[in-house]
Amino acid sequence: MTSVLQTLSQDMAATVEAAGPAVVRVEGRRRVPATGVVWSADGLIVTAHHVLSRDERITVGLPDGSTRPAALVGRDPSTDLAVLRADGGGLTPAAWASGDGPGVGQLVLALGRPGRSVQATLGIVSALGESWRTPAGGQIDRYLQTDVVMYPGFSGGPLVDASGQVLGLNTSALLRGISVTVPAATVRAVADALLAHGHIRRGYLGVGAQPVRLPEALAGQIGQETGLLIASVEPGSPADAGGLMLGDTIVALDGHPVHHMDDLLALLGGDRAGKAVPVRVVRGGQVQDVTVTIGERA
Amino acid sequence: MPTVWEQLNAELPPVVDRAQSALVQIRNGGQGFGAGTIWHADGLIVTNAHVIAGRGALRVALPDGRTLPATILASDPDRDLAALVVTASDLPTVELGDSRRVRPGQWVMAVGHPWGVAGAVTGGVVIGMGAGLPEIPRAHHEWIALDLHMRPGHSGGPLVDVAGRLIGINTMIAGPDVGFAVPLHVVARFLKRALAAPQRVRSR
Repeated sequence: MTSVLQTLSQDMAATVEAAGPAVVRVEGRRRVPATGVVWSADGLIVTAHHVLSRDERITVGLPDGSTRPAALVGRDPSTDLAVLRADGGGLTPAAWASGDGPGVGQLVLALGRPGRSVQATLGIVSALGESWRTPAGGQIDRYLQTDVVMYPGFSGGPLVDASGQVLGLNTSALLRGISVTVPAATVRAVADALLAHGHIRRGYLGVGAQPVRLPEALAGQIGQETGLLIASVEPGSPADAGGLMLGDTIVALDGHPVHHMDDLLALLGGDRAGKAVPVRVVRGGQVQDVTVTIGERA
Repeated sequence: MPTVWEQLNAELPPVVDRAQSALVQIRNGGQGFGAGTIWHADGLIVTNAHVIAGRGALRVALPDGRTLPATILASDPDRDLAALVVTASDLPTVELGDSRRVRPGQWVMAVGHPWGVAGAVTGGVVIGMGAGLPEIPRAHHEWIALDLHMRPGHSGGPLVDVAGRLIGINTMIAGPDVGFAVPLHVVARFLKRALAAPQRVRSR
């Protein structure tokens, strides 16, 4: 009689074997090689930014034991993601998870291929949350923390669920001492941007600012209690060109309220770069709109 | 109808029982004790070479409560394996598994005496198997890398699969979450050589 335990054990091993062909070794640093996940059959591979200490002489090790040179398409330190293009096609793309994603407490596997064969560690989903911003300023669609052991070389490898679908890319570098997974939606967005531009476009305003409490009368009129007081304007910056001035308090950008610095950073995403948008400020006790053409930070 | 969780909980203890039935304590004259695994009912016991390192009198505490003097049949410090013999028969043994068919992600359990806690168990999955695993000493040897909480004192004890079959000997740890075992087929090779031509046979 087959026991539940035996079935579970076989299911986990079978999941590793089924997902393994899309898991590749990434050699782009001096120490232990790391892991990448095949994005498309024609050679695109997603991996972690921090495992690539160089931009050239990168190779990938395929499940059949062969190695191929790979070119760096682009990297985004803020989300710790990078995209490689391996020579030749015929790769096995990963099955990326769509839908609701995992629940807290569910069993998941982290896969890696720092050596020749695929390896696995088991853990549970520890915490899930809303979108968050990494310390380096990257926007991640969803917080996903697990207690999987990040065995040496596992960064850039996939977190897979019970059906073998890839929930995202594991990295030990975004938050110290915590296994964080960059979810599939963020991997897709960053990979698309890296493929289109070679880097992540970030909007640029050119102001130094700090949050301030608005006078009560104005707070009632505008419908928010805080804004961002401009403490410096970089000469020649988009803010300067658009007429933003020292002492202005930004309360909205492109129709979205600005309470804190985080709000402003989130609104300066790549899609607004190059666009003229209204910036609502409080100047001399009066609310007024200024049009600023958002710049792009290289 | 029991839940899957309840079924798992019913199935796990017999696996531990099977592993523990072959688990011995190895005393080395000093404080504390290491683990060993009964290989053959007629008194052949396998453990790690580092467990028997030292000058004290070797004694083996069996699962039935007896403590017997032990003789070193062979020891291989490079592979960190040792074979001991005690004068006994009808010792409980554990069924041998096939360590060549170990798969990453499969469930395994390791028993031993971590920090001196006799017979304690830890469970987890196989990370990988073979030679050339990253960041371990003597990586040219074959190892089973394990995602479980092995501790000092697990060394020499049995690593079993979900059917309670022996697949390796617990040997080494790398941090709190990763352990390494010598695969069973490597142990078998060592014992075959040891029995054919006992090396460095010493009694204490």
